This record gives sequence, structure tokens and C-alpha cells, in this order.
Amino acid sequence: MSRALVAADLPEPVATIAAPFRVDYTYVAGVGRSTYLRGMAEGRFLARECPGCGQVYFPAPEQCARCLTGLLPPSEIPGTGTVSTFCIVNLPFPGQLFTPPYVVGHLNLDGTGNRLMHRIMEVEPADVTVGMAVEPVWAPRAEWEPSLASVRYFRPTDPALRAPLPAEVVPAEAAPGGADA
Amino acid sequence: MREVGVVAFAQSDCLAANRRDDMADILAPVIAAAVAEAGVDRGEIDFHCSGSHDFHEGRTFAYIESLDAVGAWPPISESHVEMDAAWAVNEAWSWLQLGEGDIALVYGIGRGSLARDADQVSHTMLDPYYLSPLRPHRHALAGLQAQALLAAGAIGEADLAATVARSLADAEANPHAQRSGRYDVFDLLTAPYVASPLREHDVAPLGDAAAVLVLATGDRARELAERPAWIRAMDHRMDTHYPGSRDLTRLETVELAAGRASAMAGFAASEVDVAELHTEYSHAEPLLADALGLGRDVVLNPSGGPLAGNPTTATGLIRIGEAAARIRSGEADRALAHATSGPALQHNMVSLLEGDG
Amino acid sequence: MSGRAAGQPRVAVVGVGQSRQAKRRETSIAGLVRESVAGALDDAGLTFRDVDAIVLSKTPDLFDGVMQPELYLADAMGARNLPVTRVFTGGSVGGHAAIYAAHLVQAGLAERVLVVAYSKESEGNFTWALSRPLPFHVSLGAGAGGHFSPVIREYIHRSGAPEHIGWQVAVNHRLNATRNPLAHVQMPDITVEKVRDSPMLWDPVRFLESCPTSDGSAAIVVTGEAEAERISAATGRPPAWVHGMSWRTETGHFAGRDEVNPRAGAECAADAFAQAGITRPADELDAAELYIPFSWYEPIWLENIGLAEAGAGWRMVDSGATAFGGDLPVNPSGGVLSGNPTGATGLVRFAEAAQQVRGLAGEHQVAGARRTVGHAMGGASQFHALWVVGVEKP
Repeated sequence: MSRALVAADLPEPVATIAAPFRVDYTYVAGVGRSTYLRGMAEGRFLARECPGCGQVYFPAPEQCARCLTGLLPPSEIPGTGTVSTFCIVNLPFPGQLFTPPYVVGHLNLDGTGNRLMHRIMEVEPADVTVGMAVEPVWAPRAEWEPSLASVRYFRPTDPALRAPLPAEVVPAEAAPGGADA
Repeated sequence: MREVGVVAFAQSDCLAANRRDDMADILAPVIAAAVAEAGVDRGEIDFHCSGSHDFHEGRTFAYIESLDAVGAWPPISESHVEMDAAWAVNEAWSWLQLGEGDIALVYGIGRGSLARDADQVSHTMLDPYYLSPLRPHRHALAGLQAQALLAAGAIGEADLAATVARSLADAEANPHAQRSGRYDVFDLLTAPYVASPLREHDVAPLGDAAAVLVLATGDRARELAERPAWIRAMDHRMDTHYPGSRDLTRLETVELAAGRASAMAGFAASEVDVAELHTEYSHAEPLLADALGLGRDVVLNPSGGPLAGNPTTATGLIRIGEAAARIRSGEADRALAHATSGPALQHNMVSLLEGDG
Repeated sequence: MSGRAAGQPRVAVVGVGQSRQAKRRETSIAGLVRESVAGALDDAGLTFRDVDAIVLSKTPDLFDGVMQPELYLADAMGARNLPVTRVFTGGSVGGHAAIYAAHLVQAGLAERVLVVAYSKESEGNFTWALSRPLPFHVSLGAGAGGHFSPVIREYIHRSGAPEHIGWQVAVNHRLNATRNPLAHVQMPDITVEKVRDSPMLWDPVRFLESCPTSDGSAAIVVTGEAEAERISAATGRPPAWVHGMSWRTETGHFAGRDEVNPRAGAECAADAFAQAGITRPADELDAAELYIPFSWYEPIWLENIGLAEAGAGWRMVDSGATAFGGDLPVNPSGGVLSGNPTGATGLVRFAEAAQQVRGLAGEHQVAGARRTVGHAMGGASQFHALWVVGVEKP
């Protein structure tokens, strides 16, 4: 005869189960974004102006997000600009490309009205200031791709502000398509 | 209740895979077309509401991108449901009842083509502890339901094929349909099963599309449209999640929603001329028609319905738009639109529309 | 006093339930949600049978891997045979959900609406979901705070605020949390020096100036006037009357946008205050529950929603006015800095504002609170929701 079960007979309760899942997606760039991405693959900054409000976008969507007018055909801008604001990333976290500290900035590229986020390097983080003039540093031509990763980073336009690049940055960034796939 | 009517409806072509346009680019021309049809200025729109889902888009906060097609500047009064956009219509219709504005724009964007394999996505909609780990095939629960209907003698396989043949033939007149054509019922019955008794053609084909409705109240609607399609009532009801706890051959939530909508509208669901039903599978049509009490004289899915194109979170909204279009064209005086969400028709919405007499 | 938008029926909060905020691995998602749902219904003296409609608030489904969780949670929420709507507008979603519930009541479509909100990020891989690179964007390795930190720097640049303001806000909120047993972060010994000396994460934001990630849920019951009076007579607990509510959205990336002082936030607050007949918000409000994920967002939002003049929000912090016991305590619950179940964070702000005017805030009750504000925001400060609640019928 079996006796009634008591708690001691039962296995340890299940506290957690692992249920990982995977989904593979195809992302569609869209017509507007493709213009800028192709420019990146050619080493060019292609901006577009809104005929409605006169604002110039880089990167440019297909239509102006504020007045819904289709943007004009692209025109090339130099890619130089100023720092509108920035932060210094000091936090180590998994999958990071660079050893902190490094600077991520909001940049106003000359001739445009929207903000571009990118790294600011070749400079001591403590020397970065709001309003500082910056210029793009392109990856080697062989590594250009339809991605903003073709621009490796921005650096101070003024050579006097520049500092050597940390060594570990170059190989990590040079991996084609790596971080952005 | 305030009178709220559909005064414009636009939709993009439903494509199996749109690889040209991003979310905003698919949506922008459809919004422009609907706003032009309504003849309103963007600044006259008092409320915006939309529906979409991150799991179809493959990234968090995906709906933010759609706002680039809305032009939310100056700032707008706006809301979003992470569901089929039929529920966005419901929120906008509720908002217009407040009397704080007269015109609402509702959009749905759905992209079924981005996830490479729908099986990777469909199970995430299930209980994450008990059901999802079983990884049921995406058509498995629908197959269970169809099989239960078959076993109950409610339908035969030929009925499913006949529904498909009629829907795809009707879809020939729908320029936005993803799938259409003339099919012989007996040929359809020779196709292999994907989840017995369902065959591939019994499954609404996933695709990419956007759809936009413009709603307006009372006299404003009459100014904007010759014959507004008045949304006399909307109601939606949720069932238990667990398929094993449900009688899959009955849709109590549809009966309940239809009953409440009928009381609000002043006419029964069975009294409509046309019904657009959110049939993700062919077997849903007889099941819904039965729950709604739709007789043989009611025209079902004249657009071809979802069996002709299923752009995920836009599909239910398109049912409301298509039902409204029949009223606005004068083909129908009363119409019903149904929308569903979840596995095996777990959550159902019934809308009753009517034209001026 | 006009109270509420002209001609709208009165609405009130009559029940509030909240879970403890923490990493909650001992309970399922449904169990976590049920805690708050049961709490809110108990508070209102209602049963599942009394609920007419449910609105669910939740942040992205990729955070914990359950798609359209209103389906799975139907049973835990008591939603069978009820209408359920799942709203999503970024971090402001809890506020949007509460306002939509009030709209359903005002529209005559429901008498008693249950608003449910939760996040259980320990269930999924939150960092993965947030830090996955967006398609066609270069991965900058900035992390979550990397978005807000440059905006904070711009605020500091514009206002000339001294750096200790951020430290002081962090101290105020964490000390408030010691009076809220549900708050995730409990640091009774926090000081300005400890905040100042904590690791710099996203310069200028330090570790102790940042919000945690929490599991947690919240639920409220919203009803119309007659029902609120009936319930409050039966339970002996007063309702929180909604005096004004609003939401506003603006596009995130257009050329020329001001993210430090977003116009959508300012217009949202102005609309709600106008409905409430409030002309001097800082004087007429007794407490504020604001969506402050990083300490500097206290002065930023004080200015944005009109509780302080432009450029002067930090002076209000510096004067001690926003500390517990000040003229306008901000986040007496401890706020987002002390507990952040993202899907519920906005609703918790709205619910805490209600608890203050109901006199049910327990140890963190602001003495004599007659009118308070609950605030939520989301996206790149694009989505804003706000309500004013009060003791008196509007």
C-alpha cells in the first residue's frame, strides 16, 4: 500500500526554466535612407534639403518629419561640424567595442539642422567641449560600406586638441559590418 | 453616443515582401491619400491613433519610426496600441465620444515579411511557461480548431475550399490583394495539408501593407463625405488564453461582442448586408458566420478578405475600412467588421456600420 | 475653478495596487501581475465580476519575450469576456493607459476600468533588447544612459547649474524611498558625498544618479462619479478625483528639435493645468510624481512642465523645496531612481499621485496634500502624459 505523499517526498520545486528563442529578421532600409547609405559606401556625406521648411537633413529620410514634404535630391556636404552636446561613456558592459572612457556626441554637421550621434576620438575626453569643431575620420577605402561605420569617428578639427588614439580601437572597428549587422 | 463616421479609407497594395520601403515610406503615401480623400488639412486632425507590433518589425519601439510619416510637429494628441490597428480604431472612436475633437486619423502598419520564419514568432504569443516551450507549429492551434469543427460536423473540407475559391475570385476585383484568382474547389482539395485539415490556401498569406482611416463626427463627417459610414457600435471581448479550456467550436466572445454591439447600434449583427471578417484561416469564416448569426444573404468578405492578403497588424483595420467602403459606395446600408487577435480567435472585436437612410 | 475639461463627466481613482519592486524571480509574470490586480480590486472593494474593461500597459515585448502579453495574461487579469486594450507609447505608456481608462468612463463605454501595468525584465535579456544595434545605425556603444546623458549636459550648459544638483536629487529620492516599503533601492545612509563619489557611468551621470531595472507591477481602478462615491462610502477610503489630464507626442528626429525642453511636454502640462484651473502650478500643487530616470531630469521636467521658470528648476532643487518636507516634494515615493519596472513606471507615478490625495501613501504621505501631479514620458522625450488629481471634486 502506498502512503500519502508528504512534502519531503517531492522534488525541489522548479524555480526557473530556460526558454531561449531566436528570430531572424530582414531589415529594409527604405528609399531615403538608401541614399545616405550609398553615399557612405562611396565616402561621401549626402544630405537632403526640405523644400518646405528649408531644413537640411543628414542622415536624410525620404520626407521631412516635420512638414511631410518630399526632400530634394541629395547634395554633398563636407561632414565637418560642431559638438552640440556629448557624454563620456565610463560604464563597462558586455559587447562593448572600446575600453571606457570614450566620448559619444551629438554633432551638428555644417549645413544641416538635425543631430548626428557619433563617437568623438583622438582627443582626451576631458578636452571635449560643447561647440568644439570636429571633422570625420574615414575608415580605409577598402572598408567603406553602406553604413555610418564607414566614418570611423570624428576628431577635433584643431590639431592642437588631438591626442593619440587608444590602440585597441582600430582592430575592433575595422571588422567590416561587425557591430552593425 | 456621438455619431462617428468613416469619411476616408486608403490602403497600400499588400505585398508578400516589400523590400523597397521602410515603415514610414510605406505609410506616408497612404496617409496622404486618406487625408486628401477626406479633404482635411493636417492641422485639422484632432487625434491620431495607430497599431503595430515590434515582433513583426524586429526591434524595440518600432512604432516611433511611423511617426515620421505623421509629422508629429507641432505636437499632437496621439496614442498607439501594440495590437492590430482595429483596436486603434476603437480607441479613436472612444476618444471622439468625448467631444474634445471632431476628426481622428487611424493607421495600421503591418509587415509579415521581415521575420524570416513565422514559426519563430508565432509561439511567443503563447504562455511562456506552459505553451511556448512546446513550440507548436504556427498553424497548429488553428488546425486543432478546424479539426474540432470537422469532428463536430459543423463543416466539411469542401466548405473550406469553397470559402477559399470564392474569396480569391472576389479578390480579383481588389487591386490591393496579394493573392487572387479563379480556383476549382476540387483542385484545391488535392493540395497537401499544412496542418490537417488546413491546406496552404486555407491560410491567410502574410504580407506587408499599411491602411489608414479618417473618422469624423456628426455634421463634420457629413461635410467631408457624401455618405459617411457611421460606426454605430464597437465591442470587443477577450477569451481565456488556454485552448484546452475553451470549446474551440464556439466563439462565445464573438456572440457577446455582437450582442452588445447590436444593443448599442439598434440593429442585429444578422441584419447587415455585408460582413468583412478577420479570417486568418478559412475555417474561421463559417465559425464566425455562425457566431454572428449571418444568413446566406449576407455578403462575406467581398474584398477577398484576409485569405487574399494578411498584413499582420493592419488586417483587422482593413476589415473596418472595407466594410465602410461598401456603405460609402452605396452597395450596402449596413455592414459588420470583425477583427481578431491571438491564437484560435482568442480576442474578438465586432463593429457595426450604417449609412444614412 | 473650472476643474476637468469642459463638460466632461467626473472620473476618479478608487483603487490602487502595487507589487514590491525588485528582481522577482520567485514568481511568474502572471503571478506578479495578479498581485497588483488583486490589490487594486481589494482597495476598491470590487471583485473581478465588477470590472467592465481592462487597459494593459507594458514596455516593449522584446524585453521579456512575450508577444502581445494581454493574451497570455487574460486569465491573471480576470479578463475573460472583457474588452482588453494593450497600449504602448514608450515609457509614458502607464500614463497613456490611465488616461485611456478615464476616457472609456467619460465616453460612457465602461463604469469601472482596471488599468494594469508591469515589467518583468529579469525574465528576459533586457540589456540585449535595448542594446541590440538598430538596423542602419552605427553601434556607438553608448548604452541606455548614453542617450539621456548628452541631453543632461546640454541642460547644465544652458542653465549653468552646479554639479551638486544632480547629487542632491539622487539623495532626496533615495531618502524618500526609505519611507516606501515597495521601493526597490533602499539606501538609508545615502549622502551627497556618496553620490559624488559613485562611479561615473555616462559623464556627467554617475551610478547613484541612475535608475535601476526592476520587476514590478501596478494596477488602478478608474470609475465615474456615482460609482466613486458609492465605492468610497463602502470602503471608507476616499477617491482621487481627476482634475485634468493630457497627452502629447512629437516626432523624435526632425531638424531643429529641442530635446532639453520638448514642446510636447510643455503643451501636455499646460493643457492639463488649464483643465484643472491651475495658473500657478508650483504654488497650487502639493506634490509631484515625475518620470525621472536620471537625477538631472528633476530640474529638466520642473521647467518643462511649468513648475519652475526656464533655467530655474535647479534653484528649486537647491532651495530644498522639492525634498520631502519642502514646499513641493518631488517623488515622495522614491521615484524612478528607486524602482523602475519600465512598463509600470508611468502608471506608478499616476497611482502615487492619487495615493497622496487619498491620504493613503503611508509613511511617505505628504502632509495635507490636496492636489498632486502624476507625469510620465517616453521615447527620446517624445511621448508625454500627465494628470492632476485632487481631494475635492473638480
